[in-house]
Amino acid sequence: MMMRQKKFFSLSRARIFAGRLSCEKNFVVESFINSIGVIIFIFLVFVPNVSAQQITLSLSPPHLELVAKPGKSVLIAYDLQNLADPTIMTATVLPFIPKDNLGNIQILSQFQGPIRFSLDNSDLQLDKPFFMKSHDRTQLLLRIRVPEGAPNGDYYYTLLASSQPPTNASGGSASLARATIGSNILITVTESGSVEAKGKIVLFDLLGGYKIPLLENTKLFDSSSNIPVVLLVQNEGKNFIKPQGRITLKGSFAETATYDILGQNILAQSQRLIQATPSAELNCDNTKSETACLHPYSLLLSGFFLGKYNLSTAINFGEGVPNVFAATAFIALPFKFLAGILLAIIIAIIVIKRFRKTDED
Amino acid sequence: MEYLIFSKKILQVFFFVFLLYALCSILPIKAFADNMNSSHFQIEFGNINIASGNKSSSSYQISDTLGQTAAGEFQSTGYIILAGFQYIHSIIPFKFSISNINMNLGTISPNTFAQATTALTVSFGGAGQYQVTTVEEGKLSTLAGISIPDTACDGSPGCTPTSAAPWTQNNSAYGFGYNMSGQDVPNDFLGGSYYRPFADDTQAGIPTVIMSNPNVGRNRQSTLTVRANVSNAQPNGTYQTILNFVATPSY
Repeated sequence: MMMRQKKFFSLSRARIFAGRLSCEKNFVVESFINSIGVIIFIFLVFVPNVSAQQITLSLSPPHLELVAKPGKSVLIAYDLQNLADPTIMTATVLPFIPKDNLGNIQILSQFQGPIRFSLDNSDLQLDKPFFMKSHDRTQLLLRIRVPEGAPNGDYYYTLLASSQPPTNASGGSASLARATIGSNILITVTESGSVEAKGKIVLFDLLGGYKIPLLENTKLFDSSSNIPVVLLVQNEGKNFIKPQGRITLKGSFAETATYDILGQNILAQSQRLIQATPSAELNCDNTKSETACLHPYSLLLSGFFLGKYNLSTAINFGEGVPNVFAATAFIALPFKFLAGILLAIIIAIIVIKRFRKTDED
Repeated sequence: MEYLIFSKKILQVFFFVFLLYALCSILPIKAFADNMNSSHFQIEFGNINIASGNKSSSSYQISDTLGQTAAGEFQSTGYIILAGFQYIHSIIPFKFSISNINMNLGTISPNTFAQATTALTVSFGGAGQYQVTTVEEGKLSTLAGISIPDTACDGSPGCTPTSAAPWTQNNSAYGFGYNMSGQDVPNDFLGGSYYRPFADDTQAGIPTVIMSNPNVGRNRQSTLTVRANVSNAQPNGTYQTILNFVATPSY
C-alpha cells in the first residue's frame, strides 16, 4: 500500500514536473513571440528617417585681394567645412575671367599665369584628395608666391574645393553630383606700388517706360511703377578698380534722394553693372513679366512719383582722378489712377442711365 | 430738370478728381526704397582707398601709389592683403549645399520620362553676390560608351545649354536635360516643362549659370530636375554621368 502510494506520488511529481516544464516552455515561446512582435511593431511604427546622400560645404574667406611686389610670398588660412555626410575632397587653384558684366565668372580649365600656389599643410597638397568626416573643419594654408620677374598687372584665380561624386549604389541609371565651392583671389603685381585706375560710364539709363520723342533722354512712366536704373561702368585700366560715388534723384518739388554705389570691383579691361543701395526689392516669383524681373539693374526706384525727375550719377575711380558724370530723366504721371477714375465714372454713368430708364418705364 | 441734376453730379465727380490730383501735385512726394539692413547683414559703403597721387598722359589720367596707411604697409612688407568684401559685414558664411548627390533615374523605359530631383541651397551673406554653375562631365552613358544624347527638347531651336524650351513629347523627343525652379534661377525656365541640355565639359562646353543673385541672402534654394527619355532603339544598360556644380562668390 505504502509502495503504491510512493509510486503514485512519484508519478504525480513527475507529471507535475513535466507539466511545469511544458508550461515554462510555452511561457518562453510566448515571451519570444511577444518580443519579436514588439520589435516588429517598433520597427513598423518608428520608421527611421532615410535621407539621401547630401553635401554641404563652406569656405571662408569668400574673397581675397592681394597687392604684392614680385618676389613676395604670403600665406592665407582658408577655413573649409564639411557640414554633411563624410566625403573625399580635393583643393585646387584655377584662373578665371569675367563672364559677363554682372559679376559672374568663368573658371578656366587649365592653370595659367606666373603666380605660384601651394599648401603649407604638412598633410595636404593641392590637387591631392583628402578625407573629411561629417562636420569636419580643415584649415587650408594657401601659400601665394609672386616670383621675381613676374610682369606687372592683374591675375585672377579661384581656390576651389571639390567633393568626390558618390558611387552609384542603386544599380539603376543615375546622375551623380560633384559639389565645388570657390573663393576668388584678385592679385595685383606691382613693382613700385602704383596701380592704374581708368574708367568710364558706358550706360546710365532707365529700363522700360516710354521714350518721349520730343524730349531727349527722358522717359515716361506711370506714377506707381517700379523704375529700374542701369549703371554700367567700364574699367579701361590694367588693374581692378572700385568705383565710389552716388546716384541722386531730384524731383520737381525739390525732393531729393541719394543712393550710394557699392564698392564692387571691376576687373581690368572689363565692364560691370554697378549696384547702388538702398534699392527696393522685388519678389519676382509671381511677377516674372515685369521689366525689373527680366533684366538686371543697378537700382530699383519704388514709390509714387509725380512730375519730372532728374537722375544723375557721379563716380570716382580713385583719389586725384576726376569724377565722371552721367544724367537721365523721367516723367511720371498717374495713368493707372486716372484710368481707374475714368472707368469708375463710365460705370457710374451707365448705372445712373439704366436707373433713369427703369424709372421712366 | 433731372438732366441738370445728373450733369451737376458728374461735375461734382470731376471736381473731386481734380481736387485729388491737385493735392497729389502740391504735396511733395519722396521716392522710397527698402533699406538693406537686417539682423543678418548690414550694407556699408566700401571705401578701400588703396590708391593716391596722379599720373597723366594725353589719353588718360591715372591714380597711382597706395593710400597713406596702405602705402607704408606696402613699402615695408611688399604686399597688402584684403580678405572678404569691405562693403559688407555679414555673419552668414558662404555655404553651398546639395540635398541629393545621387540622383537615381531608376530603369529608363522607352518613351517614358525618367526623372530625379535635388535641391541646391546657397547662403552668401559674406559674399554679397554669388553664382552656381553646372556642367556634365561627359554624356549620360554606359561603361561601354553607349550614350543618351543631350536633349533637343521638343525640337525648338531655343533649346540650348543657356536657353530652356518646352520638352513634353515623350513619344518623339529623346535625350537628357534639366529643369530649374525656385529662387534665383534663370528667367528662361518659364515652367516645369521647360528644359535645357547640360553643357558638356568633354566637348569644351562652358559651365552654365543656373543660380545667381546680386543681393545678400541666406538659404536661397532651387530645385534641379534631371530628366531622361529614350527611344525603343536605345540599347539596354546602366547609364550614368557626373554633374559638377560650382558655387562661387562674385569678385
